[in-house]
Order: sequence, then structure tokens, then C-alpha cells
Amino acid sequence: MKSISLYEEKHSFLNGLSPETKLLYVIVAIAVPVILGGRIPFFAFIAMSITLLAGSGVLRNTKTIVAVSGFILITVVIIQTFFRGGTFTELFRIGPLVARKEGFEYSLGIVLNVLNIIFCFCVFVLTTKPSDMMQEMVKHGISPRLGYVFVSLFQIIPQMTEHTSTITDAQRSRGMETEGSLATRIKAFLPLISPVIMNSFTDTRERSIALEVRGFSSTSKKSFLEDFVPSSADSGMRIALIVLFCASVAFTVLRVMGVIAWLR
Amino acid sequence: MAEIVINNLRYRYPETARLALDGISCEIHQGEFIGIIGRNGAGKSTLSQAMLGLVPNFYHGAYGGSVTVDGINVKEDTVDDLCQKVGLVFQNPFNQVTGSKLTVYDEIAYGLENFGVAPDEMRRRIDSAMELLDISQLKDRAPYDLSGGQMQRMALAGIIVMEPEVIVMDEPTSQLDPQGSEEVFRAVSALKDEGKTIIMVEHKIEKIAAYSDRVMLLDDGKLVAMGTPKAVFSRDDLAEHGVVAPTYTQICRKLGIRDREGFYPVTLEETRSLLESDMKGGLAG
Repeated sequence: MKSISLYEEKHSFLNGLSPETKLLYVIVAIAVPVILGGRIPFFAFIAMSITLLAGSGVLRNTKTIVAVSGFILITVVIIQTFFRGGTFTELFRIGPLVARKEGFEYSLGIVLNVLNIIFCFCVFVLTTKPSDMMQEMVKHGISPRLGYVFVSLFQIIPQMTEHTSTITDAQRSRGMETEGSLATRIKAFLPLISPVIMNSFTDTRERSIALEVRGFSSTSKKSFLEDFVPSSADSGMRIALIVLFCASVAFTVLRVMGVIAWLR
Repeated sequence: MAEIVINNLRYRYPETARLALDGISCEIHQGEFIGIIGRNGAGKSTLSQAMLGLVPNFYHGAYGGSVTVDGINVKEDTVDDLCQKVGLVFQNPFNQVTGSKLTVYDEIAYGLENFGVAPDEMRRRIDSAMELLDISQLKDRAPYDLSGGQMQRMALAGIIVMEPEVIVMDEPTSQLDPQGSEEVFRAVSALKDEGKTIIMVEHKIEKIAAYSDRVMLLDDGKLVAMGTPKAVFSRDDLAEHGVVAPTYTQICRKLGIRDREGFYPVTLEETRSLLESDMKGGLAG
């Protein structure tokens, strides 16, 4: 069955890091460029994330995400470049439209920020097994019920999709038009959706009992079959990230105080 | 010693007028295989869920009488506590998959993780359960990718790793093909050999006849009869209660072949041994 999880096991460097370390990377990658200011830190972190993703063999999985957000980013660039208000320096002209330098620079800032966030989140999401993530969350005091809801979605949604397609096939085999114009599709939707919904209601009761009898609401302390063992690089990475974060804060403070000059 | 004692159990689901269970009393002993039969709506599933206290604690509704398991009144206890004594397996294997685990092995571990069993102990129990149910080769497969019979055995494994003394099964094979249900029955008889008490609601009458030590016949929420398969299936009023006797019982009834106690045989084996002893008797006489 197809899983909707974006995770793939590649036994890579990133797979070996604990979810917390990767989450720390996400925080540092978003915070540090903002703290430091300027564009170079953004470029550095984007390059870093891309290198990490490529190293883990999941770079091509970011394609869709980048393509979708890229489309939005391009519209941002166009609108900001041509229509940003206030005083402006002309870059070039297309007919009546004037490209404005300020607008372009402003949109570039947005693009870098968004790309940085996307890539660093990809580092986390594409290389972390959902159940490991949940396990860590539960260990850190998040309710196991919430953890269950989060993780089970990855399997229950594809299962429901499969179920829906079975019902569609059944309806179609009885001569119902399920494809064609919008009106046909809407007409086909009702007899399709009612068995799906009714079934889920009855299934939910049985499912919840089945979970209950396996200690779903148990108040005893949980244990875990596979304790996630991070690779030896994990703690080193964590320290490096914290050092980097502290260094960037210290650097900014010193710069503001005028002790060092920051090249822009 | 009786493991489960049901005393004048009466139960009505919320917002219904009819009693789903009406004055049921019986005792079930340790290591017994009890088959529960009866027409749809007779109260079989309700009775099986009453043994875990799901009736009334999960469904609510009006409840009278008592069910005690190992001296514990199930109504007074929590499902968490009881499910370590009594395991429950449902008919639809799909609904018993937690959906939060990626492999069969992890899936079976689910209940143990909830009760904080140590990982080494978990592995020991899971390995032995998988071996018992003959699913060791599936341990790295995805839970939803299994066939019905495999999935049902996985669900059963998820229950037996919790080492309950009693396993209640509510039509565990009704959604399986013949091969799948044969797999489940083989697994169940392995459990019986381990000394587990098994209570099974089942429509496959031949299987019930072959595996049960005693059969409970329910109709309209009442316990009509409880006894050996031979005794129950030799009753004259089976059709009134919506139950069809096993094929061999029907044949022997038509032919008037009875054993010494006056009961008709319920399986091929019993029929054959009865006929053989008759023939020997005939030859000797």
C-alpha cells in the first residue's frame, strides 16, 4: 500500500540523527540568518540544507515542494518588482511597467527566507520516520493519544483512499457514471460518499474498542520496542548547532555595540 | 475452579427497549473452548463484550447481574486492567490494525508498549506468539499489506502477547476465505493446547462442533442451552432458535444413528467411530 509519508529509509547520515537534533537544525537555520541579517547567511543555510538533502539521497523528493512554492515565489517577485510603492530606482522598463530595484530586493529577501524554511524543513521531514518523531514527542511529555492521531494518519488516510476507490469501482460496475463533466461527478459523489462515511462511523467504534483492549488509555508508563539510537555524530551536531547559534547572537550583539563591523 | 462466572446477566443498550442479554447464568472453566452460537441479534457479540466489561463500561446502558473473571467483577474494573486478563479479537481484521506501526512486528508490540513492558521481554513474547501462529516470516511486512487470514492472525498475536488467560473471539473468521479461516482455527487450537480459555462466537457450525468443549446456544438474549456439542446439536428445537446442526448430525439424525447417551455425532470422526463400533458390535453379535 502506498504511504503518504514523505519519509524514505536510506540509512543516511540524516537518518541516523535524532529527531530533536534535526528539529534543532530547523530552528537554527531559521533563526541565525534573521539574527545575523544580510543575505549571505541565507545562502549559506540554503546551500547547507541542499548539501545535506543531496547527501541523504532525498534531494529529488523536494522537487514538488519547490515547484509549488516556486510558482508562488515567482508571482511575489513579479508583483513586488513592478508594483512596490514608495520611491524607487528604475532597473528597466517593459512598456508601461517599471521594474523597481527596491521592490526586487525586498522580494529577494522573501524568496530567500521561504526557500531557507522549505529546505530546512525538508531536512527534518524527509529524513525522519513518523513513528520515531512520535516516540520522541511522547517521551517529552506529549500525550500518546495525540501522538497516535498524528502517526496513524499516515496509514489510515491511504487506507480510506483505497476503500473509496473500491466503492467507486463497485458503483461504476453497476453502471453509474463516475467520470465526465462536473455535474456528473457531483451526482456520482453522493452515492459514493455515503457508504464511505457510514462505514467509517461503524468502523470507528470497532477500531476504538480494538485499541482500548490493547491498552490505548493505559495510564502506566509506556515503553518502546525500538529505542531510536542516534549515530555517534548526533551529540557533536547538536553541540555545533548550539555553538553556531550562540556565536551568531554574540556576533550581532558585538556588531550592534560597534565592536566589529559587519560587511554587507 | 471456574474462571468466568456469569450470574443472571441482563443488559439493555442505551435507547433501546429490548434486553440484549436476558438473565444469562453460566460458569466457564479454565482451559475450556466455549463456542457461542445463535442467530443474528441473539446477543452473542454483546455477551462476548460483557466478558471484558465493555458492556456496560464502554457502551453504557442498563445492566444487571454480574460477570466475574478470576474473582474480579468486570463492571467494577477498568478495560485497561481487564485486557491483561481477557483478550478480545474482532471479526474485521482491518479495524484491529492500529495504523501507527509500519511493520507487523511493531504492530504486535503495540499493546506491550502501552503497558510499559521491557523491550527484551517484548521481543521474547512477540517471537513466541509469531511462532505459535506461524507468522514469523511476515515480521517485516507492512500491516495493511497482509491477506485477511494473515492480518487476523497478526491481530490475534497482538492480543496473545499480552498473555491473557482468556481469549474472546467475535466471529474471527467471518470475513476470511476458507484458507484464511483454516489458518485462524489452526492458530486457535494451538492456543488451546497452551491451556488458554477460549470463547468463540462463530457461525461456522462445523468448526464449532469440531473444536468446542462446550457450546452455548443463545436466542433473543437468553441462554437456551449450554453443553457438549453433541448434546446441544442433538436438540430437536434447533431450527426454532435459528441454528442449523452440523451436516453429520443432520445425516445421523435422519438415519437414526445415536451414541450410547442418545446423542447424534457432530463430526465425521465421531460418526465414523460410532459406525465402526456398531459394525464391530454387529459382527460380534
